[in-house]
Amino acid sequence: MNHTQLIDLFICLGVMLLSGRLFGEFFRKLKMPLVVGELVAGIMLGPTLLGQFYPHLNDTIFTTKGNIGLVLSGITAISVVMLLFAAGMEVELSIIRAQGKTALKASFVGLIIPLVLGFFAGREFYAFFGENNSGNILVFSLFMGTAMAISALPIIARTLMDLNLFKTKVGMIIIAAAMLDDLVGWILFSVVLGMMNKGAESWGFLYTLGFTIVFAVAMLTIGRILINRFLPWAKRKLSWPGGILAISLGFAFLAAAFTEKIGIHAIFGAFIVGIAFGDSVHLNEKTRDIINQFITNIFAPLFFVSIGFKINFVANFDLQITLLILLIAIVSKLLGAGLGALWGGLKWKEALAVGFGMNARGAMEIVLGLLALQAGVISEQVFVAIVIMAVVTSIMAGPMLQYLLTGEMKVGLNLKEINPLSKQD
Amino acid sequence: MLIIASEGYFCDMTSIEKKTPYPFKKIAVAVAFSPRIEAILAESKRLQAIFKAQMIFIHVGERNIQQEEYLKHLLHRFELDKPENKLLWEVGDPVDVILNKCQEYEVDLVVAGALEKETLVKYFLGSVARKLSRRSKCSVLMLREPHIKSNSIKKIVVEGSDHPKTVNTIETAVYIAKLVSAGDVTIVQESDVSKMAVIRSDEFSDEEVVEHKEKINQEDDRRLEAILRFADCGSLKVNRERIDGKPGYTITQYARQYKADLLVLNSPDTKLNLIDKVFPRDIEFALADLPCDLLIVHSQTSELDEGIS
Repeated sequence: MNHTQLIDLFICLGVMLLSGRLFGEFFRKLKMPLVVGELVAGIMLGPTLLGQFYPHLNDTIFTTKGNIGLVLSGITAISVVMLLFAAGMEVELSIIRAQGKTALKASFVGLIIPLVLGFFAGREFYAFFGENNSGNILVFSLFMGTAMAISALPIIARTLMDLNLFKTKVGMIIIAAAMLDDLVGWILFSVVLGMMNKGAESWGFLYTLGFTIVFAVAMLTIGRILINRFLPWAKRKLSWPGGILAISLGFAFLAAAFTEKIGIHAIFGAFIVGIAFGDSVHLNEKTRDIINQFITNIFAPLFFVSIGFKINFVANFDLQITLLILLIAIVSKLLGAGLGALWGGLKWKEALAVGFGMNARGAMEIVLGLLALQAGVISEQVFVAIVIMAVVTSIMAGPMLQYLLTGEMKVGLNLKEINPLSKQD
Repeated sequence: MLIIASEGYFCDMTSIEKKTPYPFKKIAVAVAFSPRIEAILAESKRLQAIFKAQMIFIHVGERNIQQEEYLKHLLHRFELDKPENKLLWEVGDPVDVILNKCQEYEVDLVVAGALEKETLVKYFLGSVARKLSRRSKCSVLMLREPHIKSNSIKKIVVEGSDHPKTVNTIETAVYIAKLVSAGDVTIVQESDVSKMAVIRSDEFSDEEVVEHKEKINQEDDRRLEAILRFADCGSLKVNRERIDGKPGYTITQYARQYKADLLVLNSPDTKLNLIDKVFPRDIEFALADLPCDLLIVHSQTSELDEGIS
């Protein structure tokens, strides 16, 4: 990089971080997810807005081309790995186990129905969704299924917190079911991406699935044991928190490299290592917080803002595709998670609340969409539709939960001294 | 419906069956011919004196005249051969037999000696004591270091988690503490790091995270105050400790560092199995590495016996 390009790069990174944070905080004040603000910042700096009026800036600074584009592409790859590591740390196996059959049922049905509906929608409407580079109906359909199955844990948590439902039975079932869905969803997506490397023969699918499961089991058993032996040593011998930060992210990158090498995908290695680290009894709250803050405040904004550089959201907006994806997403999740919750013994209003809670797709859906776009699985129109779907489902979760549960839970919520577990005769 | 109320705080006990885990009026003791048999029987004598209970000694194994005579001699030596006490000599799988007998005789507490730590193989296969603790339908007392000489219980650590069973568990700990004139009872409130993890994201500002945590902590405090008022602690010194960490693991570590004499925990909601040993949670951490004697208080619930079996 020459002198000018270096300056342009630093300006780009600085503006991305500042605008991402400012817009993110603005949208958070409006009770919307932070990621919405970061996306908007990127859209404004990218070809959708700034590029229309100042194309020169778009070509030199806020660009995906040339050396700056290359650096941003590298940062995106690093950010995705870190985001998936952080997502893995949020998956708590003990919470999933503790919530029992109801969570398992809600999760299973909440996963299978969106997965199947998304898969068949992908097959049936393949031509309607437009051309993509893969030319592969199976891979596209699998992606659509996975995209419908993913949930957004932080948004669900925020919604439950705001409604004083976080520690209630319904709340923890939603959390546990969402965690399980994410775990399975990311395994599936890694398989889908792995198939892109190998082709879509049934042998390729089975091979990739098998390898994925073996790696997951090995990391979550042997890997966890090793981490639980290693972390106490690291706490004693290395500085805090720098030592643990370096160790955990270092392992995340190594795992990402390993899974990328064996053809699964880098994100999967990072995700599974995140679960293994997050599950460790030796990782205290402060350390988790620092790791999370580091990732979500530096790399997440860079990632989400950079999305806006890649695509002209206005030019690639297709109302019909967007509405169809929105419809499939909402219907499949409500049906799936809601039926699962009913099967688990919840009343219909609570079950519907579970459905809307898990309907929130959030940032991970956008990550999923971008990875699929980069892999050539989906077109830009479908990607824009996925982003809009992620944002809309995230925004609607809170009001719908409040509407469904306020009446029933009103006494428990308004009288703050009442234990949410108490029943009224 | 039993409601514990304190300053407008309610804890509905509807899901807990009316039979409380204490008093311990029928105590079963798993007896094996090990180097610690005398110590186990000495502890049994103390337990009988403390709880004024009927003792039921259960030995599982082929009947052997020499062993039978030896056991009767020991029971006599420790003054446990009273008419109200029973000695059962059974064959079969030790755990199944002991559990069946406990059910048959409606035992309140089953006592077993347990090693502090199991070898890796034993951890997964499970010793008799640990299998009992995982499957028992009544409370289980695991003696880590039984002594022939008096071993007073001065420090009791008890679980204070947000769970309907905790009421019975704390009351049981208080009941025991008063009987043995314990120095203090420490209730450990574990702030579940895992649950905090889901709110530790960019969706929450620092102030919101602090606010939510404080709210959760205040709810916990009110809940415990209500329980303690109902528990009738009298002049017993009851401390409270709040620790961040993984439930089960944190309290185990605390009991070890605090050099507690007795750790009192809730019974698991679901049957623990191999998966729980690979992915330990709750009491599995205590069972994996006993910090002291462990009492698992069994409160049978109508709602909570679900889960992955």
